Amino acid sequence: MNVIVRLAGLVCLLAVTCFASGTAPEKPQPGEELFRADQVSGHYGGNLTIGGRAEPKTLNPVIATDAVSREITGRMMADLIEINRASQQTEPALAKSWKISPDGRTFTLQLRKGIRFSDGHAFDADDVVFSFAVYLDENVDSPQRDLLIIDGKPLTVTKVDQYTVRFQLPRPYAAAERLFDGLAMLPKHLLEKPYKEGKFVQSWSLSVSPTDVAGLGPFRLKQYVAGQRAVLERNPYYWKVDSKNERLPYLDEMTFLFVGSEDAQVMRFEAGETSIISRLSSENYNLLARERNRTHSQLVDMGPSLEYNFLVFNQNDLDGKKLDGIMTKQKWFRELKFRQAVSAAIDRDSIVRLVYGTRGAALWGNVGPGNKLWANNAIPHPQRSLEAARDLLKSAGFSWNQAGRLIDPSGTEVEFSIITSSSNAQRMKMATLLQDDLSRLGMQVHVVPLEFRALIDRVFQSFEYEAAIMGLGGGDADPNPEMNVWSSSGTSHLWHLHESEPATAWEREVDTLMQQQMVTLEYGKRKRLYDRVQELIAQQLPFIFLATPNVLAAADLRVGTFHPAILDPCTIWNAEELYIRTPVESAGVR
Amino acid sequence: MRYLGRKLIRAALLLFGVSVLCFLFTEMAPGSFFDEMRLNPQISPETIASLRSRYGLDQPLVVRYARWACSAVQADFGFSIAYNAPVAPLLWTRAKNTLLLNAVAMSTTWLVSVPLGIWMATRRRSAWDRAMDGVNSILISIPEIVIAVALLAIAVRWRVLPVGGMTSMDHEALSRWERVRDIASRMLLPVITLTLVESSIIVRHVRASFLEVLGAPFVQAGRGLGIGKMRLLFRHVLPAAANPIISLFGLSLAGLLSGSLLVEAICGWPGLGPLILDATLARDIYLVIGGIMLSTLFMLGGNLIADTLLLLCDPRIRIGAANES
Amino acid sequence: MNRKPAILIVALAALHLTLLFAGFLAPYDPTAQDRDLPYAPPTRLHFKDASGLHLRPFVYALKPAPDGYIEDDSQRFPVRLMTRGAQYKLLGLVSLNWHLFGVDEPGKITLLGTDEFGRDELSRVLYGGQISVAAGILATLIALTAGAVFGIMAGYYGWIVDESLMGATELFLCLPWLYFLLGFRAFLPLHLSSVRTFLLLTGVIGLIGWARPARLVRGIVLSVRTRDHVLAAKGFGASDFYVMRRHILPEVMSVLLTQAALLVPRYIAAEVTLSFFGLGVNEPTASWGNMLSVLQQYNVLVSYGWLSAPALALVITSVIYGFLADALLSRLEFQST
Repeated sequence: MNVIVRLAGLVCLLAVTCFASGTAPEKPQPGEELFRADQVSGHYGGNLTIGGRAEPKTLNPVIATDAVSREITGRMMADLIEINRASQQTEPALAKSWKISPDGRTFTLQLRKGIRFSDGHAFDADDVVFSFAVYLDENVDSPQRDLLIIDGKPLTVTKVDQYTVRFQLPRPYAAAERLFDGLAMLPKHLLEKPYKEGKFVQSWSLSVSPTDVAGLGPFRLKQYVAGQRAVLERNPYYWKVDSKNERLPYLDEMTFLFVGSEDAQVMRFEAGETSIISRLSSENYNLLARERNRTHSQLVDMGPSLEYNFLVFNQNDLDGKKLDGIMTKQKWFRELKFRQAVSAAIDRDSIVRLVYGTRGAALWGNVGPGNKLWANNAIPHPQRSLEAARDLLKSAGFSWNQAGRLIDPSGTEVEFSIITSSSNAQRMKMATLLQDDLSRLGMQVHVVPLEFRALIDRVFQSFEYEAAIMGLGGGDADPNPEMNVWSSSGTSHLWHLHESEPATAWEREVDTLMQQQMVTLEYGKRKRLYDRVQELIAQQLPFIFLATPNVLAAADLRVGTFHPAILDPCTIWNAEELYIRTPVESAGVR
Repeated sequence: MRYLGRKLIRAALLLFGVSVLCFLFTEMAPGSFFDEMRLNPQISPETIASLRSRYGLDQPLVVRYARWACSAVQADFGFSIAYNAPVAPLLWTRAKNTLLLNAVAMSTTWLVSVPLGIWMATRRRSAWDRAMDGVNSILISIPEIVIAVALLAIAVRWRVLPVGGMTSMDHEALSRWERVRDIASRMLLPVITLTLVESSIIVRHVRASFLEVLGAPFVQAGRGLGIGKMRLLFRHVLPAAANPIISLFGLSLAGLLSGSLLVEAICGWPGLGPLILDATLARDIYLVIGGIMLSTLFMLGGNLIADTLLLLCDPRIRIGAANES
Repeated sequence: MNRKPAILIVALAALHLTLLFAGFLAPYDPTAQDRDLPYAPPTRLHFKDASGLHLRPFVYALKPAPDGYIEDDSQRFPVRLMTRGAQYKLLGLVSLNWHLFGVDEPGKITLLGTDEFGRDELSRVLYGGQISVAAGILATLIALTAGAVFGIMAGYYGWIVDESLMGATELFLCLPWLYFLLGFRAFLPLHLSSVRTFLLLTGVIGLIGWARPARLVRGIVLSVRTRDHVLAAKGFGASDFYVMRRHILPEVMSVLLTQAALLVPRYIAAEVTLSFFGLGVNEPTASWGNMLSVLQQYNVLVSYGWLSAPALALVITSVIYGFLADALLSRLEFQST
């Protein structure tokens, strides 16, 4: 019954859009240098609805930090070089080609000629220079500014001619072209005025009028209804064409519905109100899989994600009477054998089974099996062994008292608490499983759920915690974004923040290796350096790695070219290629 | 008049007290809006610190309160960090949705409860009364959250009602009548939930109040004098029984903005409640404070209206107040 | 009107006795995980098998199946009464390991199914009830004591005391407690023992809730303080405290009792909300609150319906207390007319 209604609605919508005044794509003009997507074919028409976790906070790509805002602005904007989420490699976007100088410091990019913004205005190097001026401006405080600062110095942007731009890096930087992904090119003709008046941060807020927004992405803003949805319509001047030289995107409209929690999203998806749902939990995935015939959906399990969940012990330098209790426990946390014993006692199989419903992978290092380019497969994956754990503890001077509790060399019972975010159900479950595992070693572990920001406050500011279960990663496959986690002065060096110099020999080695890989341009050499980093991390266990979930997504069967990827935004990164299949086509797909 | 004047002063003091305590509480809650950025290894602490000072978050509490209070008096309730927009329009857009929902829910609740309560009171001790009373007792006991989730599960499982949001996607394309129907269909679930929760209490009070008056001597006298049942009921019993009912009505009015937080959150209605909840978790402090002040304002307004109504309707209070002043 | 209280008292006693003897009635330890049996449906009791009808019911073991579990006919376990199982402390004093019913290992009898870690839901509901209901009762006591003290003082002394206390109650009633709770957690030490957490939880709920009872009590005191016997006592030179204790308190008692019956289920429900923000009882201790928080996930609600057992228990408890409140209220009205 539901299917017939949806089908009828879709047919009506298709009919309407065929005859209605929806923005038709402009025919490709001579003089336009367009990107040709050779494998892509489909047909025009239709509206795709996607559910969003929350409401976006802004439509300004320079200051947007939350995922939802970035998803929407990402469909309206384009970058000079983009990372193809499927291959995880860079490909030319607004820059049709580029040359790197032998010393790796100078990038000369050739822009496509004849490209226009979504309002018809021409795009050229002036827009590029303007955009980077905004990103680098300290008064704008863009979170992406730090990406462009290498060694404390910003990169410089110069216009060579109307379609050529030169970037100068203060020093060579590996995979520097990956930096350009996510740096949207802004329309100078619309934003220069507010920028000069110091009002840039307020521009393109949620109440902006669609005619004031223009971008180079596949879609442009049509309508924003506060608290409910954002409707994007086709950008008639988009610079990509398909294999038949027809201008993309195929879809007439794309709607983002602000639905809320994952459960609400599943409900709407099942009711047919949304057509794509991404980052499902395994339970919801299984639920949808059971209903797939009724809801006519396609489900994709992309395999392990790039995120890593871990247990971290507080090894920060503490002072003051308030943290006295934690300080005495730190002598356990700093003992390598203690951490190794904890790692050996953890039942990672159960975590993957019970927390991720078998749709996940156990982790012993920070780079999981999902990152095919960089994973070090030589790292040992020891199976769970309580025997081995007990031996390790014994050799470190621990023993067990009458009641079976673990005591340290000075006779104190080993007892500590693990904090975790109360809003993350998966990590809460991991904490409970860990608690049970470690109780078999005689350790008394308490699980303390904290509200998210309270957790961050303790881990980054007050250091008032003993152990925490957290998750990081997932941004990009390349090692460079992880610099801040592994280098000893890094701001995400969670187990020991604010180190003035590396606290241990292995950390010093990691520092050197990470610095080296950052300036090594050749992949093979970088991989060897990063492999050694992973080896050290897996040996020294500053984080005890637990598991990673698989990337799970679902879409209506009628969505064509649905190719979810591990990198975000996993389902709509190829929004321009998505199209609505006819009933005949989707019947042939299973 | 003086009675009302005193109430107004009380209300103003209360608003002041609430605003001060709000600021204190927000200060106590650990973390700030920008903490989420700390998890992103690619953002430096200098950027975070700079953002914090741009929004004045590193100023001492007293300074921040003073500035907020000064601008609040001029009807500028500050800036939302998350939405990068002034607080007042954000609040008002959502508040309208909540008001709509609660107004409809209140109407259905009262339209159902008052006649039902009166009817039950007149049919006391009959089988119907006993049965309804039993159902009512059970309904009152079930916590609101259980009712809301149960109804939601039913609605989704049997796909009887659309769930979530206030309008469907092609809302603007519909005709006026269809637009009303669209909103109405999505409002059905939260309204039913709210009605079930609130009417049980009101029915009980209406019934109790009417029973009390029905047992009074003057009613018996009226019956003895041959006054018709309907006339007796509405002309004589109702005014006497009205006092607690009007108080309840005032309480309902007071809860027009704040009473439906849970239901809105569960049913996905885009109202004020979920906005403030999200803002609380995100530490978007001026939005939270603005939202709470708005709710408090409505609550006080509702109380004030209720008190005024009581004053007008119940001569006993008028005389009492006159005696007091 | 005479029979109802009897049934009520029996129901109330049955409820509380069940919870007190949770250790005996529950077949398993509430924290014992069985990682091979997550989300198992309620065990079916069978009376009939290939060899005919039996008086003693039995259960089958469960085998994993693509969509959950199916019963394994080859392994049957008869249900036994008075079995020996996990250790527990009856009433916190006596260490026992007798349980009302159970099956031999490796069979499992989970009459209400298992949760995400394979823990027996029935055992958790029983033990959880201890925590939740005790929290509700204790919080009610705190709220009513504070409410009574402040209400009597406000009503008795009147004027400034009254105005300021009533102003305070209004303030309390419209404050954003969410923020306070979030901030409060920051002041607490990182880990609290479960006893301390429990006491803190009830303290917080109770202290937030003193406002409404205070207003009610104040109303009564206002009318009582002008009565003859009170004026007489004061005329005879009785101290304020004596008057309050001897003359005013008894009048207030019946209202307090009625309020108690109303508040207990409400405070039990408040525990559910607090558990959500991490101020509730922590894992692995069970409480109806933290057991219900897993139902926020839609898939759990739809696929594993047996996990809503705590909600049913909560409703039953609330209904019993609700009827009690009704009975007390009608007794109150009866007395006052």
